[in-house]
This record gives sequence, structure tokens and C-alpha cells, in this order.
Amino acid sequence: MSSTKYASAVAAIKAMENTLLTKADMEQLINAGGNAEADSLIAAKRSGSGELTAEGVWTMLREYAPDCDEMKILLYPNDFHNLKAALKAMIADRAPEDYYIRPTNIDTEQLSVLLGKKDYEHLPAYIRNTAEEAYELLTRTLDGQLADSLIDCAALSAMQKDAEAFGGKFIQAYAELITASADIKTAYRAMLMKKSKNFMEGAVCGSTHLDKTDLINAALGGSESFFSYLDMTPYDEAGKCLARSAAAFEKWADDAVMELAEPARMQAFGCEPLEAYYISVCAELKNLRILRVCREFGADRETITERMRKLYG
Amino acid sequence: MTNGVVLAFIGAAIAALLAGIGSAKGVGTVGEAAAGVISVDPSKFSKVLVLELLPGTQGLYGFLTFILLMGRIGVFSGNIAQLTTAQGWSFLVACLPIAIVGLISGIIQGKTAAASVGITAKKPEHNTKGIIMSAMVETYAILALLVSILMMINIAI
Repeated sequence: MSSTKYASAVAAIKAMENTLLTKADMEQLINAGGNAEADSLIAAKRSGSGELTAEGVWTMLREYAPDCDEMKILLYPNDFHNLKAALKAMIADRAPEDYYIRPTNIDTEQLSVLLGKKDYEHLPAYIRNTAEEAYELLTRTLDGQLADSLIDCAALSAMQKDAEAFGGKFIQAYAELITASADIKTAYRAMLMKKSKNFMEGAVCGSTHLDKTDLINAALGGSESFFSYLDMTPYDEAGKCLARSAAAFEKWADDAVMELAEPARMQAFGCEPLEAYYISVCAELKNLRILRVCREFGADRETITERMRKLYG
Repeated sequence: MTNGVVLAFIGAAIAALLAGIGSAKGVGTVGEAAAGVISVDPSKFSKVLVLELLPGTQGLYGFLTFILLMGRIGVFSGNIAQLTTAQGWSFLVACLPIAIVGLISGIIQGKTAAASVGITAKKPEHNTKGIIMSAMVETYAILALLVSILMMINIAI
């Protein structure tokens, strides 16, 4: 508690946390008769505070803490995703708007314009070189997968680099966790698809507790060597989940982020509770999406419950 | 006016100033947090107001010390005692406990109360727990005030 920065913002989000769904609320939603009943339960919980959207929450958080730069790191994955969308749409001569995700640090319209003009200088520093490299790669090879892996890897590197440069401990740990879970997934998929070492070197980013070279070598050695390597890292649980199923791994990754956010939300001041709140909102929205999709596909209660991510309450 | 009186005046000013600054900073911190909660839920105004008032007491203790010292040296009666330099120093030193502890505890109590605003925001039914935690910091400001008063009333004029 060395600084009282963002005291107002943190207190405001503490009041807003009451409108977030708890585990008990999710159980009620799972047991609801249909989407209409679920919607009315959600509306009752929100008690007139309006629809919860990641974009709306982000805008509000930025209004409360406009000078909290480290928060922007949370949106790097969205920015880099939009870069992929914009480049591919440009190559395929299609409108990119439908493929953009929000919220973003870079205005999507501006992104399209700048990429169209090849004006990389006006892009933020963390994405500038990647945009130029990916454009060159895509126009030269027309290999979307290669460009995707370049951009994905650059996104993770940028998160880690900027978290280290101007972020607090929480955002650093967050960037590392996101990188590690993405690396595990990428290396595992590359292993299953028998991709070359060269490809893996371009696609795996590496982080403090998950060495890039070791992970690639483990993946090249096959399934047994891959999981034995993960057993020796702090991500042994991730390995066990991945061995079970991809869905179990995805749930582990999301739950690990929520566990990481747990102490951050207890802070009374600073950026961390704001970041934790945004993460929890995203987790809640993801849960609601999963619930809706499961319902549409007629999944039973047990399956839905199994897939539910950890929530705040 | 003797040097002793000037020193006593400096002591009184330090007590009122530092303790007042501590309170102002503390109340300001809680006020910021309280405003955040009220912007979302105005119905919690009365609950957060109690927390905002807590760090204000250090300023009062500083003011009380100032009044007591002024009374001791006869400022209110218009008959100011001709203090020696040693007596002046004694009064100045007597003012330091509440001045310093008031400054620090005011700021820290502000932080604690601001954190407790979070409790009020999320679990209003546990509001009193936040008040108790914030009030614990007050203990040391009260002790410092007692030390200052005891020192002051025992200085022979």
C-alpha cells in the first residue's frame, strides 16, 4: 500500500463487482429452463446496470484510469488479432470489419487505413515491426498460417516485453502465464501435425519458466517427451489437462488466469484491481457464451458444469 | 516577547500544521475512494462518510494541543508568560509527539479507511469491520496526544 493511486476507480469497481455473476448464479443459469429464463436471471442480477460488454467495461476503466498504461497490455492479443484480420482481408480484398474484435488499443478504422497505406510509422511501437514483417511475409508467401504464427508469437513477446518495461508484478505474471499457455498449445499442435523445428522456432515464444528451446525439443521428441518435460515445469497441471483433452487444457488456462487475478483484486489501490476486474468480466462473458453454445447443441448439465470457468465470486 | 515564547508558538504551530496535513491527506484519500463508490451506488453515502471522517481526528488533536498550549502560556487571558528558552524548548518538544504521529497516522488511517471503503462497496453489511480496522490506527494518535498533553501540563512555568 505504498501508493493510493486509482483509489476512486478501485472503490467504484468494488461496488460494480456485486453485479458480476457468482458460481451460484452460474449454477442457477445452467438449471434455467431456457435462454429467456437465463436472460431474466442475468437482468435481475445486473439490476438495471445495463448489458455487460468487454468494450463497455474497458471504456469505463480507461475513463477511471486514463494514465494507467500497463492496462493496455491486456488488449495486445486483440490488437494483434486485428492485425491478422486486417492483413488477410487486405490480401483477399475483403472488408475486415466483420473480423475485428473489440476492445482495442488501436482504432480499427485507423488500423485498416494505416495498413492500406503501408504507413507503419503511425502504428504503436509494440506492433509496428510485426505489421511490416507480417505484410511482407504474407505478400511474398501467401502463407496465412506462417503469418499467423509470426503475429501470435510477436503478440506474446510484446506483452512480456512491455509488462517487464512498465508493468507491475501482476501484469508481468499475467503476460508470462498467457505466453506459457499459448506456447504449450502451439508446441502440442505442432507436434501432432509433425511440424518442423524451423516452424516451431517461429511459432513458440518462450517465457521465464518455460524455455523455448526445451519446449521445442520436447515437442520434437514426441508425446511422451513433451508431457514429461511439462511435468518438470510449473505447468505440470497444464500438461495433465492437455493429455486429457484440449477442452480441459483451455479450461485450465482460463482458470489459471482467474487464480492469478484473485490476489490482484484484493488490492485497495493501483492498476491491478482494475486489470483483475476486466479479466473477470471477460471470464464471465466467456462462460455465458459457453453456456449458450452448450444449450444450442443440447449438452447435458454435467457437460456444461464441467466446462464452466472460474468466476470472481 | 521572549525566545521561550517564540519557541512555544513554533511548537504549537507545528502540532496544528503537521497533524492537520496528515488529516487532510487521509480524508482526501478516503474521499477519493468514497467518490468512486458513490458514482456507482449513491445510497452508500452515509456509510462511506463515517470512514471519511475517521482520519479527520488527527487534525483535531493537533488543534487541541495548540489551544492547550496557548492556554498554558496565557495567550487567551492576554497575560503571556515570560518563558525562558528552556521552557520554550520544553513546550516545543511536548508538541512533537502529536505533530509527528498525527501526520503519519492521518495518512495511514486514510489508506486503511480507503481500503475499507471497498468493504462497504462490496459487502455493506460488513461496514463496521472496516470502521474498526481503520479506528485501530487512531489508538496511536490518541496515545501521542496524551503524551503531548502530559508533557505540556507538567512543564513548570
